[in-house]
Amino acid sequence: MAGTPGGTTGTSIRDLTRVRLTRLDKVLYPAAGITKEEVITYYIRMAPFLLPFLKERPLTMHRFPDGVEGEGFFEKDAPRGTPAYVEIFTRWSETAERDVHFVLCNNLDTLIWMANLASLEIHATLSTTTAYEPPDLLLFDIDPEPPLGFDDVIDVALVVREVLEAAGLHPFVKTSGKKGVHIVIPLVPGYRFSEVRDFAHEIGRQIARTTPHVVSEFPHSQDPGTVFVDFLQNAHGKTMAAPYSLRATPGATVSTPLRWEELRHGVRSEDFNVKTVISRHEDPWREIFDNRQKIH
Amino acid sequence: MRTPGGRSLTTGKKSIEAPAGRHKKPATATGKKPLPAEPEPVKKDPAIKAAAVKDPAIKDPAIKDSVKKNPGIPEVMAVVPPEDHETHGKTGRPFWSGSLTIGLVNVPVRLHTMVRDHSFSFRLLHRTDGQPLKYDRVCSRDGLVVPWTDTVKGYEVRKGEFLIFEPDELKAAMPESDRKIYIDKFVYYHSLDPVYFDNSYILIPDRSEEAYSLLITAMQELGRAAAGTITLRTKEYPVVVHVYDGALILTTLRHADEVTLPHAFPVLPGLRAPKEAELALAKRIIADLTGDFSINAYPDHYREAVLALIDRKLAGEKIVYEEPHPEEAKELMQALQETIATLARK
Repeated sequence: MAGTPGGTTGTSIRDLTRVRLTRLDKVLYPAAGITKEEVITYYIRMAPFLLPFLKERPLTMHRFPDGVEGEGFFEKDAPRGTPAYVEIFTRWSETAERDVHFVLCNNLDTLIWMANLASLEIHATLSTTTAYEPPDLLLFDIDPEPPLGFDDVIDVALVVREVLEAAGLHPFVKTSGKKGVHIVIPLVPGYRFSEVRDFAHEIGRQIARTTPHVVSEFPHSQDPGTVFVDFLQNAHGKTMAAPYSLRATPGATVSTPLRWEELRHGVRSEDFNVKTVISRHEDPWREIFDNRQKIH
Repeated sequence: MRTPGGRSLTTGKKSIEAPAGRHKKPATATGKKPLPAEPEPVKKDPAIKAAAVKDPAIKDPAIKDSVKKNPGIPEVMAVVPPEDHETHGKTGRPFWSGSLTIGLVNVPVRLHTMVRDHSFSFRLLHRTDGQPLKYDRVCSRDGLVVPWTDTVKGYEVRKGEFLIFEPDELKAAMPESDRKIYIDKFVYYHSLDPVYFDNSYILIPDRSEEAYSLLITAMQELGRAAAGTITLRTKEYPVVVHVYDGALILTTLRHADEVTLPHAFPVLPGLRAPKEAELALAKRIIADLTGDFSINAYPDHYREAVLALIDRKLAGEKIVYEEPHPEEAKELMQALQETIATLARK
């Protein structure tokens, strides 16, 4: 069987991937002592969960070549020297006023290549190349402002779920890997971003009216002691941390898809990290694209 | 992208632009220890002192061994550009100055290095970030780095048993240098045997041109070389002085007990005398291959190959370092194999 220690002898990494791996010993998460090799291993392990989601989705890499304590940078364009096995999607960007050459992670080698570039965070657009303008995901980004914390986020997330389910929808949830959670609804093709945004805004407003601490309007988004339900992410060119993307946090947290039942008081973002997520054998988002929904 | 070889590419360039085959630090010779520099001239030239301190570290056989022990790992090394020939060549500072003493006659001379090592000097780098490695003195008991001030010399009597020598004790045993080359005998030049030769130096007259010329002419006409001793800071060396290409050349010799003599090998005295016919044939072959010796017939192929390699690297050919050690990446390998299998099932 592949994977037994004996099975690795005689085979080299070169036989298994076209990616030239570099500086595997580099520590990328100093506080947690996580090396690049562990990061790459993590992404390889999670590839069966991650690749179906990333397929044909223009990406932004958030790279940390000097580790999470160094300076990170966002890379929207495929960098110079991008190998041939990395698929590229070129689109005119209105904001940048130029062609942007997005990386598409359509194969395992690309995922390994990104990890080797210390792209710890993988951010994905809410639309795919096949229908680039219209979104295929609706996103609620729920973030607390201190002193509120993750338990408050859970409370709000459960309210959002309740409201959405009352509307006949079936939302999916994941930790953002930072302070909050992301609630996502896969959409049938054809909506415009403005429609999706208006819908999310309406849901947010409704919840804000009835739930303590919740705000859904941008000016209040950073008021202390509030939970912000952000509908504004539903816009062209906006991205969210991909499910199973690592985050640049000291504890190497992962933006982790959860079953709704897992979202209970006491659970923390930090519980889901590079070491724990690797042994999650169920992907709660496995059927996300078999559940494309209509919002009106 | 910066490669670990990046540093070497820029520093190596100098060695290409300098006239090939004509530059090297003065104080080294392949496989042979250079004479230790005299204390006084060293003070005047810190560069020589630095070279003398630095070179033994680079040529430390232990370092070479540690590289050889890992044949699977390509050596990541950077070329150290040899110092410019012009500053240390014929016009450079003398390595030593004193006088050649024959009985009551003194001929003041300066000693210049003759042998220059052209072998490549590589620096050992950290593969992952291309930084040069340094060597620390580490205590074998606790693995901690020991500062120079906490070190003392020990002579190993038996394995693990040492006699400690304080610097003063060793100093007392060192011979006094009176800055003289004592010549006590003239010998036939052809009676000198190269097995004892160590290092050669050129003697240059030091405001003593007449005496120098007289000596050189007399020795040449008689076909003699001078034998004697030179005392440097820590050691007395047997030397011979002979005439070569219009100059007096001083060659330090190995002490007798440093050279293994052939009779140590019992097979040699027992050799049978050859048969007449075989000997005649052997002599004919030798006669056919006989000619004048020319050192230029034996170029340094390794040096040429490395120079060519440096040229190619400078032209942009990248060195590939990326192959990780399979053992280090075992979990990664296993993950890769399993994931590939999982993806293939889908």
